[in-house]
Amino acid sequence: MNQRRGTRTWMAGTVAAVLLLAACGSEGGLTIDDTWGRTSPSAAANGAFYMTIGNDTGQADVLESVSTDACGTVELHQTTMVDDVMRMSPVEGGIEIPAHGEAVLEPGGFHVMCLDKQVAFDEGVTVDLTLHFAVAGDRTVEAEIRSE
Amino acid sequence: MLDGGGGTVKRALPYLFAVLLGVVVALAIVVPRLRPHEFVGTVLDDPEPAPALTLTAAGGEQVSLDDFTGKAVLLYFGYTSCPDVCPTTLAALADALDELGSRRDEVQVVMVTVDPARDTPELLASYVAHFDPSFIGLGGTAEEIATAASAYGIYYQKGEGTVETGYEVDHTAQVMLIDPQGRYREVLPFGLDGAAIAGDVAEYL
Repeated sequence: MNQRRGTRTWMAGTVAAVLLLAACGSEGGLTIDDTWGRTSPSAAANGAFYMTIGNDTGQADVLESVSTDACGTVELHQTTMVDDVMRMSPVEGGIEIPAHGEAVLEPGGFHVMCLDKQVAFDEGVTVDLTLHFAVAGDRTVEAEIRSE
Repeated sequence: MLDGGGGTVKRALPYLFAVLLGVVVALAIVVPRLRPHEFVGTVLDDPEPAPALTLTAAGGEQVSLDDFTGKAVLLYFGYTSCPDVCPTTLAALADALDELGSRRDEVQVVMVTVDPARDTPELLASYVAHFDPSFIGLGGTAEEIATAASAYGIYYQKGEGTVETGYEVDHTAQVMLIDPQGRYREVLPFGLDGAAIAGDVAEYL
């Protein structure tokens, strides 16, 4: 009887601990989802990565830079369109993720530009990206190379 | 008399409903087919022969738009170092061919470089083949490229940097649609998906 009660207490404790850990995990502040890079020919010197960064906190953060071994140089870029002309320019001061908001990096908008690709951007390849945030610090995520 | 008449109407009601239902279903099937195709691109009012264009493919072969008479041509100006817009567009064009299925052979995708200093015809061929083996990449001298771009109203401007340090090229990101008779029909804006492009292309096949 005592032994059974002990087991129950132990189980309840485990469940509580797991729930607590799960809660802590989701309270990390920034969520980085759908991190991907487009497949590109070996003939293409450069590539691009995209992702969605969510910010659960009440404080805005800024993606200041990105580093990875997969590229010679990494720059944060923005494509803007004026009269059907696509213009790419470095993002001054990084990409802001508003408090309780998100920043979407997607084709034709913000993107992580990978200059001088060091790996093949083939379907299924994964690349580690370290994102440097002003507030949240460094976060390393895995980007999947896929066609879209 | 009146009661009897009312009874007839009541008895006829289910039939009336059945007929009405039939009409509604028939209209629902027929009307969408009657509605004209809604073009996603900007359709040119007076289709004129597409400006002539002769440039260099891999191996030094001279290729003209005239060579593709009988096929619709999707013409795009871009460059191989372009990381965002060009691969997005070429991937959408490849999807469009897939959407067209057996009619894909009636369409030719041609990419002309706006970066002749770096994009050789060989590099272009290797680049476009990644998206679809049927795609053709064309290069040429700076003057030839300038002439071709200006004929299609394509703006491009090289950014700061050298071949060694790298640079970007701002450029008009649209795709020109030329019908199988060689007439310039449509301008497709950036950001369309393959199905949308295929829908417009199919109208000319």
